[in-house]
Amino acid sequence: MKLFDAVKTYDYRSLLKHNETFVFFVLLGFSIVVTIINPSFLSIENLFDLAKSSAGMAILAIGVFIVLLSGGIDVSFTAVAISAQYIAVKTLIILGIDNLALAFLISCSVGIALGSINAFLISIFRLPTLITTLGTLSVFHGGLLEFVGSTPFYSGQIPDCFKSFGLAQVFTLVREDGTKFGLSLYVLIILGIVVVTWIILRYTMLGRGIYAIGGNREAAERAGFNITRIQFFIYCYVGFLAGIMAIMHLAMIRYATPTLSIVGTELSVIAAVVLGGARITGGSGSILGTLLGVALIVALQKNLVLMGLSSYWHQFLVGLIIIVGVSITYYQSLRRSQQRVVFTEEL
Amino acid sequence: MNENLLEIRNVSKAYVGVQALDKVDMTIRKGEIHCLVGENGSGKSTLIKVVAGVVRQDEGEIIINEKLYRYLHAIDSIREGVQIIYQDLSLFPNLTLAENISLNQEIERSRKVINWKDIKEIARHALDEIGEDLDLDERVENISVASKQLVAISRALTQDAKLIIMDEPTSSLTRDEISRLFNVITDLQKRGISTLFVSHKLSEVFEIAERVSILRDGKMVGTFNTEELDNDRLVYLMTGKKVESTIYKFDEKKKKAPLIEVRNLSKSRNFKNISFSVQEGEIVGITGLLGSGRSELALALFGMFPADSGEILLEGKRVSIENTQDAINAGIGYLPEDRLNQGLFIEHSITRNIIVTILEKLLNKFGFISAKKREELVHEWVNRLKVKTPNVESPAQSLSGGNQQRLVLAKWLATNPRVFILDGPTIGVDIASKATIHQIVRGLAENGMGIIIISDEIPEVLQNCNRVLVMAKGKIIHEVKDVTSVTEDEVFSIMSRKEAYEAV
Repeated sequence: MKLFDAVKTYDYRSLLKHNETFVFFVLLGFSIVVTIINPSFLSIENLFDLAKSSAGMAILAIGVFIVLLSGGIDVSFTAVAISAQYIAVKTLIILGIDNLALAFLISCSVGIALGSINAFLISIFRLPTLITTLGTLSVFHGGLLEFVGSTPFYSGQIPDCFKSFGLAQVFTLVREDGTKFGLSLYVLIILGIVVVTWIILRYTMLGRGIYAIGGNREAAERAGFNITRIQFFIYCYVGFLAGIMAIMHLAMIRYATPTLSIVGTELSVIAAVVLGGARITGGSGSILGTLLGVALIVALQKNLVLMGLSSYWHQFLVGLIIIVGVSITYYQSLRRSQQRVVFTEEL
Repeated sequence: MNENLLEIRNVSKAYVGVQALDKVDMTIRKGEIHCLVGENGSGKSTLIKVVAGVVRQDEGEIIINEKLYRYLHAIDSIREGVQIIYQDLSLFPNLTLAENISLNQEIERSRKVINWKDIKEIARHALDEIGEDLDLDERVENISVASKQLVAISRALTQDAKLIIMDEPTSSLTRDEISRLFNVITDLQKRGISTLFVSHKLSEVFEIAERVSILRDGKMVGTFNTEELDNDRLVYLMTGKKVESTIYKFDEKKKKAPLIEVRNLSKSRNFKNISFSVQEGEIVGITGLLGSGRSELALALFGMFPADSGEILLEGKRVSIENTQDAINAGIGYLPEDRLNQGLFIEHSITRNIIVTILEKLLNKFGFISAKKREELVHEWVNRLKVKTPNVESPAQSLSGGNQQRLVLAKWLATNPRVFILDGPTIGVDIASKATIHQIVRGLAENGMGIIIISDEIPEVLQNCNRVLVMAKGKIIHEVKDVTSVTEDEVFSIMSRKEAYEAV
């Protein structure tokens, strides 16, 4: 009887309100379906592979998540990433230097520099973030193709340091037939970024400032937060993350083309973040949710064909996810504002 | 105890062409509850901003804690213990109560790192000081306006407040919540903290204030002990004119078939079995606490929030009202409670705001809007409702609160409604404009319109309506047939008494 009461009084709605729970169960359900069709889906090897291939998107998603949290939106991060990548690899090839640290340094510097252009436009001129970054997306990408170059670099031209980085593993396991597979170093990098970002958001005044301006910008100003500085941090951090992602991406595919390899995936990344429960109007969401959102989007991407659907479905679903995600946020805020006037109990 | 905490001396401030403050003097004593009253545009908010150090005065000086400031910076003001609670409360809806209360202090101390234990302790301590126990882990967006108010006060206390300035704190609170707020203010007083209470609700001024300062057109009319004043005198001092209050009389003999009749109208969770009718020339008041269902009922009648069941009859004919277009076609007009969001296109011109409801009537034979018809109509309504504006092409936001409300009236009256519902018609409107609006409404009723006034200001409905319906928990619990037979207190106790709740 007591157990029954406890079951009855537990507020399931509060659990369901957590988007993470919801996304987790969708992911679980999806995995079960895919595993039934293809039992190797849930193999350790495949999961390791999924982790590696979603690392890049996860890093970009964390950047987008922070921007959304502050009440803004950034769509230029893919152009930042491709610029960082291409400039870094081209410099290394021209100089004939084979050094991964230098590659990261160049890539992240380019990322931060381009991010600060966004930050400058947004914080000093107070331009709307969507329009600004839509503009810079085009400016950065067009500028790269015109001023830096548009010829791709193929596997043979790419310095060896990228190849070894792409193959680096935290540990290796041996298959039954004696060949080896392992967990990519990428997983550690993403873990590091998650921890750093989490600490910034949770335990620094800067991080709370990001939440604050996403919740109520005017109140944040009155409370004494330096909004310009916070926005500079946000957009530079997105650029920095794009710089890291750029090198990881290059090391994985070992082919650098400035035309259309990363640019064009903005919507998938934003969809992942929205799916993970970040409110598009700012102020709310979690890193865990963002990662789950990325996992779901990548799982979709990888398995649609397996499930007998054309890969165009991916594009279709990404758009749908954004619309549904935004609708849910809107509906929830509508419900909240109505609850304020209606009674809590039934008449 | 008679020491002055704050002294404002000879302060003047002019904005382009407008003298917002003209040689204003005012003092606030330690531990005093002081009210600042004045009509919209009298300079109240400019004065507060000068004290906050947000606006710099052109002339004059400010003395806080015996320190003289020629120019007061925002940071000085905070350091001297002045805390302002703005009307919008400046809270972060997405953060917890604990953070909302403690963050400002942490910023002021230039903390770079967050210690969550400290955050909670500061918040818990501040809430204890005002004797409130709220869930510190709850997000602010999930709590009531009254609780938000308490959070804002607690936040002020974390910064060693000596003077808390509250800008119109009661505008969205119910009677009970206001009493709770007043208890908190009196508690603060016992601890030597002064409160400057900015309000235009006079009954509250008399309830809480020890002294009252009155601003009119940027000039300080004077500071008075509350005992020296009564309602009429205060209104006179604020407006410079006598405002007559008479009761609206409806001629029972004219009684005909009802204009609008509502039968058993229900909407789940909002209101249940509402039946009433309104005759030609009647002004019927509906009053009740926030959440009694009064505004929801109005929205249902206007089709914005359609009812689940029940009937609405207009001049004896059953009409179905599923959306606002149905309501307008049936001859129902609605003046919304929140005129800024629902009533006006605030950035658009006065002309556009007036014609928006009746564009079809202005079309010429080619299907375009006739400039001549448009100008005639706008001219007519601006004159009839005495909207004060130099230019009908200026944006609606350039008008004062009272004139904006008249503009919303004009917009709906242009549709020639048979039944006109006014929800909180004088919220945020100053006294003189209030009287004008009431006069206009009476005039409409005398010309045969049926009027429903929804308001939580009991004096407003008792004075302007010939009948008053009292709502509680979604039901009509009482009907006042003769408004001269009851007092304000009696109506108030009907709508808030326990039995009323238990009876339904």
